Amino acid sequence: MLAYTLKRTFVAFLILIVVSGLTFSLSHLAGDPALTIGGEQASDEDIEAIRVLYGFDRPLYVQFFDWGLKALQGDFGESYHYRQPVADMIGERIGRTMLLGFLAILFALVVSIPMGTLAAMRPNSLIDRFALLIAVFGQALPTFWFALMMMIVFGIWWRMLPISGHTDWAHYVMPTIALGYYATPALMRLTRAGMIEVLASDYIRTARAKGLSPTVVLFKHALRNAIIPVVALAAVWFGFMLGGSIVIETIFNLKGLGWLSYDALLRSDLPVVQAIVLIFASFYVVLTLLADLLNAWLDPRISVK
Amino acid sequence: MKLRHLATLATGAVTATMLSTAALAGPDDNSLVIAWGSTGPIEHVDNYVNTNRTGIWFSRMVWDQLIYREPKTFEYKPLLATGWEQLSDTVWQFKLREGVKFHNGEPFDADDVVYTLNWISNPENGVKVQRNVNWIKEARKVDQYTVDLEMKRPFPQAFEFLSGPITIYPNEYYEKVGPDGMHKAPVGTGPMKVVSITTAEEYVFEKNTDYTWGSPKGEAQVDKIVVREIADVQTQIAELLAGGIDITADISADHVDQIGGVPGYTALQAGTMRTGYIGFDAANRSGHEPVNKLKVRQAMAHAIDRESLVKNLIRGDAGVIHTPCFPTQFGCSVDAAVKYEFDPDKAKALLAEAGYPDGFDIEFYTFRPADWAEAIMGDLAKVGIKATLTKMPYFALRDKQRNEGTTPMFLMDWGSYSMNDMSAITSHFFKKGPDDFALDDDVAGWLEAGDTNSDPDVRKANYAKAIEKITGEVYWLPMFNHVRNYGYREELEFTPYQDEIPRFWQYGWKS
Amino acid sequence: MTDAALPFRGRKTAEEILEPSPMSKLRKRVFKNYSFLIGAVILVLITSVALLAPVFEAFGWIHDPYDQDTARRLLNPFWYETKTAPEHLLGTDKVGRDYFSRLVYGAQISLLIGVSTMLISGFIGTVLGVTAGYFGGRVDMVVNFIINTRLAMPVFLVAMAAVVAFGASLWVVILVLGLFLWDRFAVVMRSITMQARDLDYVKAARAMGCSTPYIIVREIFPNVIGSLTVVATVEMANAILLEAALSFLGFGVQPPTPNWGLMLNEGREYMLFLPWTVALPGACLFVLVLAINLFGDGLRDVTLERER
Repeated sequence: MLAYTLKRTFVAFLILIVVSGLTFSLSHLAGDPALTIGGEQASDEDIEAIRVLYGFDRPLYVQFFDWGLKALQGDFGESYHYRQPVADMIGERIGRTMLLGFLAILFALVVSIPMGTLAAMRPNSLIDRFALLIAVFGQALPTFWFALMMMIVFGIWWRMLPISGHTDWAHYVMPTIALGYYATPALMRLTRAGMIEVLASDYIRTARAKGLSPTVVLFKHALRNAIIPVVALAAVWFGFMLGGSIVIETIFNLKGLGWLSYDALLRSDLPVVQAIVLIFASFYVVLTLLADLLNAWLDPRISVK
Repeated sequence: MKLRHLATLATGAVTATMLSTAALAGPDDNSLVIAWGSTGPIEHVDNYVNTNRTGIWFSRMVWDQLIYREPKTFEYKPLLATGWEQLSDTVWQFKLREGVKFHNGEPFDADDVVYTLNWISNPENGVKVQRNVNWIKEARKVDQYTVDLEMKRPFPQAFEFLSGPITIYPNEYYEKVGPDGMHKAPVGTGPMKVVSITTAEEYVFEKNTDYTWGSPKGEAQVDKIVVREIADVQTQIAELLAGGIDITADISADHVDQIGGVPGYTALQAGTMRTGYIGFDAANRSGHEPVNKLKVRQAMAHAIDRESLVKNLIRGDAGVIHTPCFPTQFGCSVDAAVKYEFDPDKAKALLAEAGYPDGFDIEFYTFRPADWAEAIMGDLAKVGIKATLTKMPYFALRDKQRNEGTTPMFLMDWGSYSMNDMSAITSHFFKKGPDDFALDDDVAGWLEAGDTNSDPDVRKANYAKAIEKITGEVYWLPMFNHVRNYGYREELEFTPYQDEIPRFWQYGWKS
Repeated sequence: MTDAALPFRGRKTAEEILEPSPMSKLRKRVFKNYSFLIGAVILVLITSVALLAPVFEAFGWIHDPYDQDTARRLLNPFWYETKTAPEHLLGTDKVGRDYFSRLVYGAQISLLIGVSTMLISGFIGTVLGVTAGYFGGRVDMVVNFIINTRLAMPVFLVAMAAVVAFGASLWVVILVLGLFLWDRFAVVMRSITMQARDLDYVKAARAMGCSTPYIIVREIFPNVIGSLTVVATVEMANAILLEAALSFLGFGVQPPTPNWGLMLNEGREYMLFLPWTVALPGACLFVLVLAINLFGDGLRDVTLERER
């Protein structure tokens, strides 16, 4: 088990290095960082001086190595544009994005699990059809379009919810729904499939035969088993949501990491882009690693293989 | 007809809610919420650290300059300096105002001025925009309220800088806290005091009640101002209509009509000195052959219907510009410019003469709204020139231009940092600096002569020659001056200015 | 080889042999499956409109989508009472181009993006997945690593960075999306190939000395084509939505190309006051993606049912 854990951790680490390396080369293709630092009025000499000062004249792999070593120590450098430590800028905003991602996934689970369960209890019934319809429609609705529609209805027409900002809970309602609904179809289908399978299994039949009430069977026995893969998928979706927050945060002016990465891209603020990609990637890698280890712990055969 | 229903509903609901304007702060507690920032947040509020234009509004609220430039007539008037006198070609003496206090209580006197000027002119202190300060040799204290300013060379534009980017800092405070401390808690003499700053999010100000010494800038009209950075213009408008903000200035000309049509709101357009132009790669760095030919550039100048563009898309009081500078700027002589009227037939004839009777393909770059570029491309298509558009973020485009030079044709603009002097625009682009794509020695020479001579007539004569050649060779096709569009609650009273500098403290509520 | 292939392709049990022929069963399933039918009909409609757009234009039924006139900009669609024009049924955009013509031509671009992205990512994903599944062992480990690396990348952010780096154009967007959306193909192909590899007839083919590429192309591929098509529809829908989101933030296809995502981006400027400018392209996008999803769902039921 220990060997397996070490091996998996090593692979996860390797993935982060490759992802960072790819982004690093890509973002250095994207623009001359010296020009960003110099600002609008810099002369050619200013730019050249900056290039030397920041070490942009060195080969790319040396710069990457340098960056990587510092990143390991939690130092992501300084933003070219804001001249603040990137770690501080991220620290200030990561909570908002995490909260948004968490609320969104919670919303998705709260909607999809009951709907999936209802659908599974009566396959091919009206409820099932309806749930499927919602799922298919939901998947075809562009997130940003849905966000804008909510903004018009709840923000301007009814003035129920604030349009932009992040200062209290009300600011998170629309972004949460906009970000969360896109995950519902997948989660709902998985709940439905899992429930159908579990409900047909022997132990549920046994439980029913023992005369337990349908409610107890459904919640205590069936749902508890069917929900495990759903939660695992939700964890992976959480990683994707952090990425999806770019559009939502921009629309609602909720200034978290998504907004920060968009803003940084617009002004070629490479250290910021680089650090955010690493953070998003780390989330995915850590979550999958945990899921894998959990699986291995539950099923010892995996780690032996 | 579901769509019709939706449309009616939308219009109806917008109108209905607007009528019941909720009493959200605003006139009731004499506060003001402003949305700003579609061009991006202020990276650092210290005037001498930030390099981009967005910091200007902040700097004008918090600090004062020695000299005030009247925004309508561009006359120089006393501000922190009450009078001035030229002692020699390179020395100015300023009499300072007595009884002015900084926000932290520090009294204003010659020490502050001398400290500020000497600090910024010392290259070691790393003022980001050296052009603003590198003409200063030294400032000397004569007595508590008199200062001598020595320049490195005769510098005719000195007052443009002293009334613009050079703001006076409190010497004791700045010495103690430095640029980063100034960024966290700015202290100045200006009409508003800073309450709090959250970078890229929100700036809160309160009225400086000591600003009663008769500043030409005027006292603040409201007690509290909150400036929110909202990057997305649509979100800004939504906030405006939902009552979250009181004014925005980032909207388009179409929004002016639309917001103006909503009860409770007003919108207006005001021309600025920001000058739009189409630049051509006349130095042929892009390797695009046709654009290297004068006849082709002339043909393009005749093919583009600038009048119709201004009338239909820019609107307001924008006008077609024929000079590579804004006509109010010093030296910017409209008579010197070669003018090109809209004449597609002539354009076709010129193209044929140049050897392109069937036109050619060209890449066209911009960072501005695509509809302007698209209208231009439509005109070019009518004479056979097929342009393909690439819209890029501002910095990415500047990077491509400077480092790769692969932009044969581009629609750009320049706000001259609100300086009413031709050197702030034409000299920036035609003195063989990094943004010069014509690389014309004659033009560079005339501009240099115009920039450094202290005789106004010599300056004007040299600038006129440069204008004639730039327009004659069509290095630039000057397009139009930009218009700033404002949408706001109708109870709000404010005046927009041509120099594009927002003066938020002058905004007030109608009583 | 066909005889050896039967056990998997048919996997017939005794009672199944007594049933009607597989073809007629398939036909029955197809016609019973409404979502497949509806999706297919809409897709065929949109595709033919997209392909026939130049013909429509030649007949004068629609305008040139690039023909602009700033004097007749932002005309309203026909159901409005003011500012309409009979020759522009669905109004005009901000530089006076006919909205209906642009929507028709926009179908071309959206389909082009969907199909090309799907082909590129399908190719990459299938090659990786089949290789990993067939060879297993080290090869599988390496491919698994590549897949995980790809999954760890925040697609949208990296795609935006790539568009900034290489300049926004139709083909850059297609290429970037194609290079990013292959993961599902790879995962599905890998597991199916693994199952197929162990089937008797594949083993038999190997025993007979058939070359590896031959086995992959002739024996394994026909078995995975059903799943491949289902994944392809999912990815196509995904690509179209992602492109729309990129265009929406200004990192996608460049104007004046008629494109639904871009029209949404342009129309957004007017959405609070002229809702039709976003409602129309939004509806088109929605219907297209919906049709692809319905088609894919139906396809799954029709082709994969037998595997349950």
